[in-house]
Amino acid sequence: MTGAATELPWMWVGLFAYGVATLLAFRNVWQAGGDNAVVLLAGRQGERTILLAIVTGVLLLAWALAVRWDRLGHGPFINLFELLMSQLFSLGLIYSIVYWRVPNLRASAVVVLPLIWILGSWILFLEPADSQFPPTYHNNWLWAHVGFGKVFLSFSLVAAGLAGVILLRAIPRLGRSFAQMSDEALDQLAWRFMMLALVFDSLMLIAGAVWAQDAWGRYWSWDALETSAFMTWLAIGAGIHVRLSYNIPIRIGALVIIAVFFLAFTTYFGAPFYSEAAHKGVV
Amino acid sequence: MMAWMRRLASTRLTLLGMVLLAIGAGLSYGNPADVTVWVLAGPLLLLALNLLAAILTQPRINRRPGLLIFHIGLLSICVLAAIGRLTFYEARVEVSQNSAFDVTSVDEVSQGIFHMGELQQVQFVQRDYTVEYRPGLVRGITRSNVQVGDGHGGWQPKVVGDDTPLIIDGYRFYTTFNKGFAAMLTWIPEQGEAITGTLHMPSYPLFDYQQANSWTPPGSIEEIKFWLRLDTGLDRDADWLLDVHNTEAVLVVNNGEQRVELQPGQATDLLGGQLRYEALSSWMGYKIFYDPTLMWLFIAAMLTVLGLCLHYWDKFKHQSMASDVVVDKQKQDLKMTNKAIKA
Repeated sequence: MTGAATELPWMWVGLFAYGVATLLAFRNVWQAGGDNAVVLLAGRQGERTILLAIVTGVLLLAWALAVRWDRLGHGPFINLFELLMSQLFSLGLIYSIVYWRVPNLRASAVVVLPLIWILGSWILFLEPADSQFPPTYHNNWLWAHVGFGKVFLSFSLVAAGLAGVILLRAIPRLGRSFAQMSDEALDQLAWRFMMLALVFDSLMLIAGAVWAQDAWGRYWSWDALETSAFMTWLAIGAGIHVRLSYNIPIRIGALVIIAVFFLAFTTYFGAPFYSEAAHKGVV
Repeated sequence: MMAWMRRLASTRLTLLGMVLLAIGAGLSYGNPADVTVWVLAGPLLLLALNLLAAILTQPRINRRPGLLIFHIGLLSICVLAAIGRLTFYEARVEVSQNSAFDVTSVDEVSQGIFHMGELQQVQFVQRDYTVEYRPGLVRGITRSNVQVGDGHGGWQPKVVGDDTPLIIDGYRFYTTFNKGFAAMLTWIPEQGEAITGTLHMPSYPLFDYQQANSWTPPGSIEEIKFWLRLDTGLDRDADWLLDVHNTEAVLVVNNGEQRVELQPGQATDLLGGQLRYEALSSWMGYKIFYDPTLMWLFIAAMLTVLGLCLHYWDKFKHQSMASDVVVDKQKQDLKMTNKAIKA
């Protein structure tokens, strides 16, 4: 069931594909900001290449996950290496679908892909240690919890990407490259993704509570992840509340979205630094 | 009255409640004993009042079905969580193999002030259990066999363990890592009736080398010390099954200067009576949890999300993400670019 980490080469190639997509996104933005009149046509072509590179990365990471799953006999749910690997896959997958279906937000690739690459760089420094599947993880609610969580983080990432674009427009050269959409349209799209994120965050918390009740005999215990996840939910709720109730400047709204994403990010990947086990009773 | 309600429905108050709740959540991290429950209860009460006032007075909420369901759902969660804390029950218990659950054995009890206390009506009999271990003594699946009354005088066998609790009358019994072996003993006093019971040894395999306990026979002042020398086949480097049927044990009895080793079925004479080691047995430690609001909380939470989805659907169903305005602008830009190329 265990052995050498044969999934690593596939993961590396997948990360390389993400890297190519990131560089192409930067090139697109830089060129679009220049004075060359043909950049829009080149940009269209560039977008297709970026999408192709992301999809290639997603497929390679999916294969790497499958190889590891087959080797260990369980899904990527336990240690930080597995969590990062599965997030790299799911963030790439959902972003590629959104990138493909919603052309308006393609400019966000220049923010989203480097954020994904933070995880990509991080995983390169981790030992691909084998993990043991706890008995309480044989539960269908775990799948629902993890699935909703991945969609939630992906939509937060898209919103953060759009918020990042709003802020990057302050730089004159970059301002020209993001000129297709108004600040208002970007702001509206970003908050719409935050609203979707709130739905999936709520579903993640509900599924997690049902799983925790079955697994550990309590639905809420204020452990590291639960506390941080609840604060994130409150932050999204408060952010949307402020956005709908008060006329806040668009750039302040963008900063709020980025702050909420940062909170969500630390919920997923910060908990291991201040808690021995992400969830109580996990071992 | 309405003016006062409108002030209570203020969105600023909502934000204040959220900030206080976030602070309360931070203070509650890890359930510290020195933090009062009011750091959470206070903001929740404030938010519940704020929600109620908003539902009653704000047309923006009560005239939109989705938002109304969402806010009623949130209010219901606050109320149900409060009822849950007032009526919950939590405890731990060790149940011997082939013995009925005994409510007097429960330990570490904590309960809400309005808990009605019907645990004494819970009946089940503990049978044997197995626990799988992987190399490195990593705990795997627990299968605990129990028998539950079927309500017609018969007993229904059930297998519980890990994420499958035994649920009787709303009380949920969860197996824990705390389980071990026991010695079934019979004490035959020189005068009086014989008594049979089980002596639980410390949790196994956690206290593999400390399988000892002591007992003082009724009417005696002399404590008898027991040590269970086990042969469980435990191999830390291989798969292993903890199973009382695969285990042999010698009971070592120390009574002052006297030291006797007993096989199952053997007896020894001690001061004041005879002690017989009947058989090796086991015990399972359960966590007991009761909260009558669990199902209602789930329903309220799902309704809340449903209300949110309904509201978003109403809000965005006519607004495509690929906004026409934006697409038109892109088309214009492309035309201008093409003209520039031709020129």
